[in-house]
Amino acid sequence: MKIVTTRRISQAFFFTLFLWFCIVSTVGEKFWQLRRWPVDWFAQLDPLVAIGTALATHKLYWPLLWALVTIILTIIFGRFFCGWVCPFGTLHHFVGYLGNRRKTAAQKIRLNRYRKAQCIKYFILVIFLSMAAFPSLAATLQTGLLDPIPLLTRSFNLLLLPVLDRPVSFISATARFSEGAWLILAIFLTAVLLNLLIPRFYCRFICPLGELFGVLGRSAIWRIGKKQADCTDCKLCEKSCEGACLPSGGIRISECVLCFNCRRDCPDELIAYRTTPSLAGEVTNPDISRRGFVLSLAGGVFAVPAVRLSNKLGSNWHHKVIRPPGSLPEEQFLTRCIKCGQCMRVCPTNVIQPAGIEGGLENLWTPVLNFRIGSSGCQLNCTVGKGLPTDLVPCGKVCPTSAIRPITLAEKLGLDEFADVGPIKLGTAFFDRNRCLPWAMDKPCIVCEENCPLSPKAIYTQECFNTVRDGVLTVKETAGNIINVDQALVPAKFATGDYYCAVDGEHRVKIAANTENSIELSPGERFEKVPAAGGKIEIQVRLQRPYVDIEKCIGCGVCEHECPVSGKKAVRVSAEGETRSADRRLLLER
Amino acid sequence: MTEQNDKNLVRRRFLSRLGKAGLSIAAAGVIAHRLYDNKGPELGVQSEDMVTFPDFSVEPQPGRTMSIVNGPDRVKTVNKAIELLGGIGRFVEKGKTVAIKPNVAFASPAFLGATANPQLVAELVKLCYRAGAKKVFVTDNPINDPASCFRWTGIAEAAANAGAKVVLPCANLFRHTTLTDGKLIRNWPVFFGPFENVDTLIGIAPVKHHVRAGASMTMKNFYGLLGGRRNIFHQDINTIIAELSMMVKPTLVILDGTEVMMTNGPTGGSVSDLKRKNTLIASTDMVAADSYGCTLLDLKPSDLPYLAKAENAGTGTTDYESLKPRRAVVS
Amino acid sequence: MGSVPGRNRRLESAVSILILAVLFLIAAGLLIKQAPRQAKDFSFLLPSGFKTLSEMEVYNAGNLYEKINGEAPLYIDAGFEKLSTQRFAGLSDRNLVAELYIFDMAAARNAFAVYSVQKRPNVEMLGGMQFAYKAGNAICLAHGRYYVKLIAFTESEQLSAAMAQVAKNISTSLPVHDDTGIPEIEYLPQDNLVPGSIKLYLANAFGFEGLTDTFTAKYTLDGETITAFLSKRAGKKDADVVAQSYRNFLTENGAKTKKPINKTLEGSVFDFYDMTEIVLSTGPFVAGIHEAENQQAAEKLIAKLIDKLSGKAKND
Repeated sequence: MKIVTTRRISQAFFFTLFLWFCIVSTVGEKFWQLRRWPVDWFAQLDPLVAIGTALATHKLYWPLLWALVTIILTIIFGRFFCGWVCPFGTLHHFVGYLGNRRKTAAQKIRLNRYRKAQCIKYFILVIFLSMAAFPSLAATLQTGLLDPIPLLTRSFNLLLLPVLDRPVSFISATARFSEGAWLILAIFLTAVLLNLLIPRFYCRFICPLGELFGVLGRSAIWRIGKKQADCTDCKLCEKSCEGACLPSGGIRISECVLCFNCRRDCPDELIAYRTTPSLAGEVTNPDISRRGFVLSLAGGVFAVPAVRLSNKLGSNWHHKVIRPPGSLPEEQFLTRCIKCGQCMRVCPTNVIQPAGIEGGLENLWTPVLNFRIGSSGCQLNCTVGKGLPTDLVPCGKVCPTSAIRPITLAEKLGLDEFADVGPIKLGTAFFDRNRCLPWAMDKPCIVCEENCPLSPKAIYTQECFNTVRDGVLTVKETAGNIINVDQALVPAKFATGDYYCAVDGEHRVKIAANTENSIELSPGERFEKVPAAGGKIEIQVRLQRPYVDIEKCIGCGVCEHECPVSGKKAVRVSAEGETRSADRRLLLER
Repeated sequence: MTEQNDKNLVRRRFLSRLGKAGLSIAAAGVIAHRLYDNKGPELGVQSEDMVTFPDFSVEPQPGRTMSIVNGPDRVKTVNKAIELLGGIGRFVEKGKTVAIKPNVAFASPAFLGATANPQLVAELVKLCYRAGAKKVFVTDNPINDPASCFRWTGIAEAAANAGAKVVLPCANLFRHTTLTDGKLIRNWPVFFGPFENVDTLIGIAPVKHHVRAGASMTMKNFYGLLGGRRNIFHQDINTIIAELSMMVKPTLVILDGTEVMMTNGPTGGSVSDLKRKNTLIASTDMVAADSYGCTLLDLKPSDLPYLAKAENAGTGTTDYESLKPRRAVVS
Repeated sequence: MGSVPGRNRRLESAVSILILAVLFLIAAGLLIKQAPRQAKDFSFLLPSGFKTLSEMEVYNAGNLYEKINGEAPLYIDAGFEKLSTQRFAGLSDRNLVAELYIFDMAAARNAFAVYSVQKRPNVEMLGGMQFAYKAGNAICLAHGRYYVKLIAFTESEQLSAAMAQVAKNISTSLPVHDDTGIPEIEYLPQDNLVPGSIKLYLANAFGFEGLTDTFTAKYTLDGETITAFLSKRAGKKDADVVAQSYRNFLTENGAKTKKPINKTLEGSVFDFYDMTEIVLSTGPFVAGIHEAENQQAAEKLIAKLIDKLSGKAKND
């Protein structure tokens, strides 16, 4: 069996596996749903995630120990991950192949020549790692922007799957949305289409993970190399060279992705994978100067405080940055979030959305809750399993780095051993009394109160009676429970059960119905003193005006989702009062 | 021969690579082991960051706990008041450092009486140096912009002229604290830096009316030591003031009732809010000082719930007469 | 193409196969992890602070006797299929031990029958679950086809709370696995019903073998506690037959027909050793009152019951 064939099988295997993990990331027990699939495995294998979080948090989160396997194998074998495992690499490889297969050998050889610009990915890696290594809590983890595993996870989960699933509704019965997906599309499409220009463009010029593998694999025990120094110089080995690593001459080991195409294509079988270095020479170090290294290091180190001048982590924080339940406090969150979008994908109600930059540049593609999107706010009983208090909440369970901690339902709702601590609050709902129907428009509503899932509810109402517009009527005559009036009325307008008839000095009486010129009181209801002709009566609407009990409100957003004022909602949740932040507390007692 | 050398070279290079690979793997393993976290991140502040304020109080001497001096000139009255308690030497030892915490809460000119009087602050600095202090710091964590507060009140200039160093609040001077029996001060950021290595702490506060608390005097003065979003404590103002007296044990407090802000406190804004009462109190018991001070506002100690809370917590007594305060008049 | 040394080709194939084997193992590992797990033990039901103490034991009708001795016929006669039992203990205090018995009774009515017949009158009902109570050191509940018993070995508040939590977890997370339910509960009037007094006798209600599948419930009316009974038969004919044969059984044993206050109950009311017994059939139901002290209250109650049944019968 040819090694190249095995490599293709391996690429197909891991690509399919990656795709499968994206597909099954739906909460449920069926085979094609979450169950016990280890959907984070690729992120756990990714050493850039492990090293990035280790630098930023000074800890190695235990599931990321898988990265050690990748690191050890890379140290021994070289950049096998890029050529055999990475699903993004496979995608680039395939598109590059499709786009360039009709070219002549000479053209392909030219395309696969080594370019000095391939060192850009080294600068990108150094900048990201220096940002992550920034002292104490000022560190920021931005590797997720260009790390291929989170990038592809984002692109599949937030872009391709929702689009492809729309017509068939197989993964989700309701349509799924991702805010700002246009940007994810632009980046994804650009990266993929650039392969038509130069094969594996992303892998060669941009990928920081590839560069990390290149650095780790410098002293690989087995490497590609020529069995003799001189050859016919036909350069056919470079016809399909994926890494653009110059196998014909001094092969650049840190660029070689172990595709083995050179070994296949050499007509004299001069290229082998062995422990002896290439007899035509090899270059192990990345092609950058010390000055370049220092500049990128400084760039990363300087960028962090510069970006933080907007004070988005201090008093200028954005009130709409509402994070999923179990999220760490903001400074810590930003040292762990790799922007993979898993939490957004798995959220059953689709409220977790990728953020834009309104919360700061570092906020891009981190999870924020938008209650207007999706099916119902952050639902109260949301677990991976059947709803036992010990079951895990989905968003925290799938977060590979514990930026969102894997909390149990008991911790989220403040049950059992968490009863003293109380439930996790995401924020607080605030009524906009200028837009709320009972507050501003004299229209009964209280959908918000009905939908508040807590018991006792965090929304309560107070009754109030307002005289309606043109509601002062003059009595013509009263007959039993019918009062005829002078003014013209809209028939049946007051028949909804919310309207009352008020007379000076008496208690209100409910109105059952009305015609164009008479009011009918509810059966069995009467005024003590019959309103005399010429006297005045007032039509009043009974309003229940909603209030938020901020001691109970957990900011789940169901009220905001259900509010019928559908544009700018009359009740909106913002992050004040979230339990994860000591300085955003609203109340003295929690 | 050369072939043998070549082979040896190749083998040596291979072994060296093998060695490098082995070392790298070992290093990776060791680092992974040292950083390994099998619990995942948890909420809460790390305990290394927690501090407790030192106890700055001196040995109590019966009959020398509190003094009340009447007179129009602050410089003279404060000198007399301290003399009656045993002299500055009782509170400041030679070669030691002093931190003075005046009320510099607002960027308000001194004549409006919303902040500590700059001459009074300067006089205290001079007294400390006369007692042989090595260094005197003047500091506060104001409500308004700190630099503006110290400037407009005149306290920065007065303190500097007297030889003290003004310390403005900045992020690295804040740490977290939890009060053992406290309900509110738990895991809360406090302005700790200037007080970390000093020997004496002196508080200076004017007597002011306060809309929320009733009055702002020597105990409320230490609100300036709280950091973070401390305005949240206004929801339980009396408990927080009582807890301040549990958190900080100053050496001495000076309560300046020479011109008292009778209305519109704590910011005031007009001289018509002030009334001249020509009284100055020095005390080692903040609760007693405030209990007497509130009478200058035509209040009784029972009108200020925080006094009873503090007394219950054991930080002082509201029955100031039982301390036999020493009185004097200085023209 | 030069000749390829055979060694290289074999090495190449060997390495390829090795790599493919690794891929295969990864795939296999993932799939094995997905296989639905048979509940090998009940730890998933335990609250924090407790863990299982022994292996789970499983008994069927053949060897149930080995575990619960003389109690076995009680369950076996009621449709018993399987018993799963396991002990659990506190993590910090190993003396807090309790045993969990889950009887699979094959159908919800069977589980309910066993539950209701074993229930004594003065027990503490547990909130949050339909059929659950606490009596001394035991908690019993009926959940779908399962009858659950939790027995504590020591008296402890902490252990009691843990047991209540296990019961709660069972009622929320264990699937009911029963399609038939217990519809007759809907037919009994709710007014004046003594809570928790509904019982189901699968056979031999009141000592008469013809009364199978009979529900009894206690009501408080006019200061009296009266027991009503109800059984849904296959159809009207069957109901008439059963009602008549029970009446015959009563008269054979010394009951005498009594004049009813309500004329429509003519022929249905009996005096049985100074107690009033009412037996009648309406539609597919056999219904009546058992051993009531006060005839008037008994007739009132049966009227309510008939009312409800005819309403239901119309809707069926």
